[in-house]
Amino acid sequence: MLSNMKIVFENVTKKFFKQEDRTLKELIPSLIKGMRAGEFINALKNISLNIEKGDTVGVLGRNGAGKSTLLKVIAGVTQPTQGKVVIEGKIAPLIELGAGFHPQLTGRENIYLNGSIFGLSKKQINEIFDEIVSFSELERFIDTPVKHYSSGMYMRLGFSVAVHTPFDILLTDEILAVGDADFQEKCINKMNLFKKQGKIIIFVSHALETVAAFCNKGLLLDKGNQIYYGGVDEAINRYKNL
Amino acid sequence: MFRYFKNLYTYRYLLYNLTAREIKSRYKQSVLGYFWVILNPLFQMLVLAFVFSFFIRIPVEFNIPYSVFLYSGLLPWTLFAQSIMSATNSLIENETLIKKVYFPREIIITSTVIAKIYDFILASTIFVGFLIYYKISIGVIIFYYPLIIFIQVMFSLGLSFILSAFNLFYRDVQYLLNTIILLWFYFTPIIYPIELIPDRYRFVFQLNPMSVLINAQRRTIFGGAELNYTSMIIAVLLSLFIFQVGYMIFKKLEGLFADVV
Repeated sequence: MLSNMKIVFENVTKKFFKQEDRTLKELIPSLIKGMRAGEFINALKNISLNIEKGDTVGVLGRNGAGKSTLLKVIAGVTQPTQGKVVIEGKIAPLIELGAGFHPQLTGRENIYLNGSIFGLSKKQINEIFDEIVSFSELERFIDTPVKHYSSGMYMRLGFSVAVHTPFDILLTDEILAVGDADFQEKCINKMNLFKKQGKIIIFVSHALETVAAFCNKGLLLDKGNQIYYGGVDEAINRYKNL
Repeated sequence: MFRYFKNLYTYRYLLYNLTAREIKSRYKQSVLGYFWVILNPLFQMLVLAFVFSFFIRIPVEFNIPYSVFLYSGLLPWTLFAQSIMSATNSLIENETLIKKVYFPREIIITSTVIAKIYDFILASTIFVGFLIYYKISIGVIIFYYPLIIFIQVMFSLGLSFILSAFNLFYRDVQYLLNTIILLWFYFTPIIYPIELIPDRYRFVFQLNPMSVLINAQRRTIFGGAELNYTSMIIAVLLSLFIFQVGYMIFKKLEGLFADVV
């Protein structure tokens, strides 16, 4: 783990090419007619951020503001079209709803698969395996294929795997939307622990109260534009007036 | 190419897991399960052998039964065709992984191809049975065989890199591929020996790495003749070239995968 972790965005723009024609049959006539095969959509426009060790950043914005794209750029899943992104520190797997597991495989197999995606060896996963299972409270279902899991169970496993791998930067996308109150509290407690350890946490949520209580910084996005980045209370105020 | 093998090494446990998943998740809801891997090429061979030894007789060299001759070409061909066809779809099938976390995407392609090599080895056990049954002696240059398979795999990987990346943008690739594979099958000496082709057309086959490689594999198994080194060098260079170009294109487009998948 690094002592100086940080996330720096310098004028980052992410354009998506919205492809309207998925097959050549559709593409060729539109090329002949001189039409474009799709259009560019700005998911992020000129974002500049400086996130330092110990920062917990609440990302606010309406649907389509670019919150998830921002996380994906930080996670390295997608590359920015323009601008510079500097990430120092190890990033935990992106925690979001309904992603990352293979439905045919059991919870156990998925833990090993996800751990290895994260670059862990079998031995390292063995060491954290019990903790992952007990935190997720899925002992009884660990040998059941995850396609039979409920969305809450899915989230519990996803969260548990992500936070038990060694990391510096944690990215969470609407993780509190599912799961019961008990587990939500457990998640928050765990994240408070990480906060104390000085890890960077990026927290995308519509739950303003939680954001206000948990985060020290706020980032407000609207249609890909950076409206505000700074203290969390000001960000929430501006979000309410948006 | 160095970077490729370095990434494989770094992510070896992921590669192992993805390969194991690829092997395990297939045939999961079937009674015969993994036996299909052995049965499918066997049935295919029996059907073709029936047609080409009863209705149309195809003369073969090396003094071996036609079925053995056919099988020796059909197995590596199946490896090749299955490799590129499943690799082409593999990025789409692993959409959830691609969208969630970064790791070198060539691990996905490589794991599908390794799973097919596993199938190939299983299916080959029947072939070895045939060799024993017909008391066919193995050629002295058999030690070249794994090397030629390796070149074939590199060639398959190169094609897979290009096809899988393009398939993300335009799904036509996977449909077109089926037709091309079928055509390619007949332009490769699998059901017939290369000697059946008149000399003046042979150069076409020389430029088809699969043709040269399968022919060379047969020569190493059944022995008798030397390898055609000129053809081999062309095939090796062409295969490595395709691998290198394919890998470069793949890495160039990699950053866009999560956006288009």
